[in-house]
Amino acid sequence: MSDLAPITSDSKIYQVLISSLPNKFIVDFANGIDVGRDHLRVQRQRTGMGARLYDGFTGQGARRQAEINASLIDGVEGSLIWLGELTESLALSNYAIVQVNERLSVITQNVTTLAHYSADTRHQVEKLSIHFNQRCDQLNQQIYRIDFEQRAERQLEQVFNKWAAGRLNTFSLAGRCYAAMEELRWGVFGDYCRIHNNHIRQGFLGDLANRAISQLANDASMEPGDRSEMSSWLARPTGRTLLADATDALAYLGDGSNPEVQPFVFSITQLPEQTPLSVPKICNADRLARALVSELFSV
Amino acid sequence: MSDMKVGLVLSGGGAKGAYHVGVVKALHEVGAQVDAVAGASIGALNGAILAAAPSLHEGAVRLETLWMDLANTSPLKFNFPAYIQLLAASGLHLASAGVLKEIVQKAQHIAGGAMPAGISNFLGGLNEGALSDTPLQNHINQYLDQEALNKGLPLFVSVFKHDHAFRDLLRCAVAELGIVDSAASEFVHIQSLPILEQKEALLASAAIPLLFAPKRINDNLYSDGGQGGWQKMQGNTPITPLLEAGCNMVVVTHLSDGSLWSRHDFPNATILEIRPQSNISREGLVPDILGFNAGKLPSWIEQGYVDTMHCVGRVMKATKSRVNLKVSEAAVVQSQDTARIDQEMQITMSRLSA
Repeated sequence: MSDLAPITSDSKIYQVLISSLPNKFIVDFANGIDVGRDHLRVQRQRTGMGARLYDGFTGQGARRQAEINASLIDGVEGSLIWLGELTESLALSNYAIVQVNERLSVITQNVTTLAHYSADTRHQVEKLSIHFNQRCDQLNQQIYRIDFEQRAERQLEQVFNKWAAGRLNTFSLAGRCYAAMEELRWGVFGDYCRIHNNHIRQGFLGDLANRAISQLANDASMEPGDRSEMSSWLARPTGRTLLADATDALAYLGDGSNPEVQPFVFSITQLPEQTPLSVPKICNADRLARALVSELFSV
Repeated sequence: MSDMKVGLVLSGGGAKGAYHVGVVKALHEVGAQVDAVAGASIGALNGAILAAAPSLHEGAVRLETLWMDLANTSPLKFNFPAYIQLLAASGLHLASAGVLKEIVQKAQHIAGGAMPAGISNFLGGLNEGALSDTPLQNHINQYLDQEALNKGLPLFVSVFKHDHAFRDLLRCAVAELGIVDSAASEFVHIQSLPILEQKEALLASAAIPLLFAPKRINDNLYSDGGQGGWQKMQGNTPITPLLEAGCNMVVVTHLSDGSLWSRHDFPNATILEIRPQSNISREGLVPDILGFNAGKLPSWIEQGYVDTMHCVGRVMKATKSRVNLKVSEAAVVQSQDTARIDQEMQITMSRLSA
């Protein structure tokens, strides 16, 4: 498109043209009609004998006819000139239409290219969006897993801190281990172990077992592999600061335990004096901790 | 600034000069400009009023006022035809009534007819005193102001060198029969004349032979300019001085039906003729020229207006159509200048494919 303002009837060029001298051929063409009509009107009125004789004698009839003829010729000539201009203008318009068509074809082609480009871009964006969403989901899952793992580890840390701080000293050595593991089993740690696959769960449970072995050995002032009678692991501590209903609390927690499936839990919570046959008479911290992990977290 | 210089030719035709009023009024209404005026006989007087007016509009108003004065003059008060009243009020000296009456009676005797009542009454009451101190004369004195005329539009009038009233008329008659044309009229640029001769030249242009005494200009006697070049109406349609003055567009008015004046005698000039589109004759040649029936004047004013609107309107419409065609062509050509935007599109598309 041209940078110039479009030409309209308000344009200066229009005002200049309309106020400038009309072309002679236009004036002769248009005015010739009125001139010819004036002569023709008089000619038609002069059909009487006298008038015809007078016009013929004076030559006025012939001159009038000559004027009519000249006006007609002017009209035809004006028509020819105007027709020529119109034809040239039409040719110009036709060429302009051709140019418009050519440009329209180019624009159509470009629009087609743009449409393809747009469709391709949209397809790529959609793919990218899917990939991005998948990646986001993965990241979310990882974040959730990490958060979950963090919370599970924190609970593990909190529970063993509590144990190490002596908060569970009201229970027997094995009872402390059971109480700690029971708390973990019903908390985030237990959820984490139940949700995740065997490999991850085994890692966490290994940590749990190691921490429990270490804490048990520490509480018993023994090495993890040092053996001691089972009754010493199950014996309730004595002292004034102990909770009176600690035994009942353990019994309540392990009320549903099956002596055949969970012999250690049963021994610790229900009848410390009558341990099932599957419970060894002599046991070390390592054996006790692993047995409880196995009985409480086996799914 | 328009390069157009428009001349207006007001041809002679006696009382039919009222037609000029409508012409000028219509020209003003269509927004035409007039840069110079040429007139013969009554056209010279009308042209002088127009040339002295400060604008085309004011000229139209003054002409209408003057001619309506004539139309409204009571026929009982003045027993004169309107045109004679106008010329006499303008300052033309009437020829002796006795001489005129004698001439007419001799002519009738030869023809063997009776004198028409109108002409008899007119000649019976012919004297200059009856025409003095009328509103018409006051208006003419006001509108033909010498100073305004000298500052106004260039005015040309045609005058015919007077020989003898009878011989002049005889030459016109011979020319009318197509035997030998009458001598050409001369054209006078009024503003170039000495002050004292300006009005004389105006009046000379309208001095009908026999009725009015010829006027003296540069030691020569001149009478009605319409007599010259009778066959081609050279004197009665004074276009030549306007073309010589540089007018490139001339509006020519005719006061007769089927005027044999020919635009083709001026092949290089752009001429717009205002011709009667219906009969301008009302009651015959002499009564129309002298204006025995002043009641007809408004109808000529109206006819001049309608004919001008018709003739000029037709040319304007055609011109406007052609201008629209040319402007639309220019717009088409301008709209084809698309190189820059095409290049921008090409660059943009190449960026897409890069």
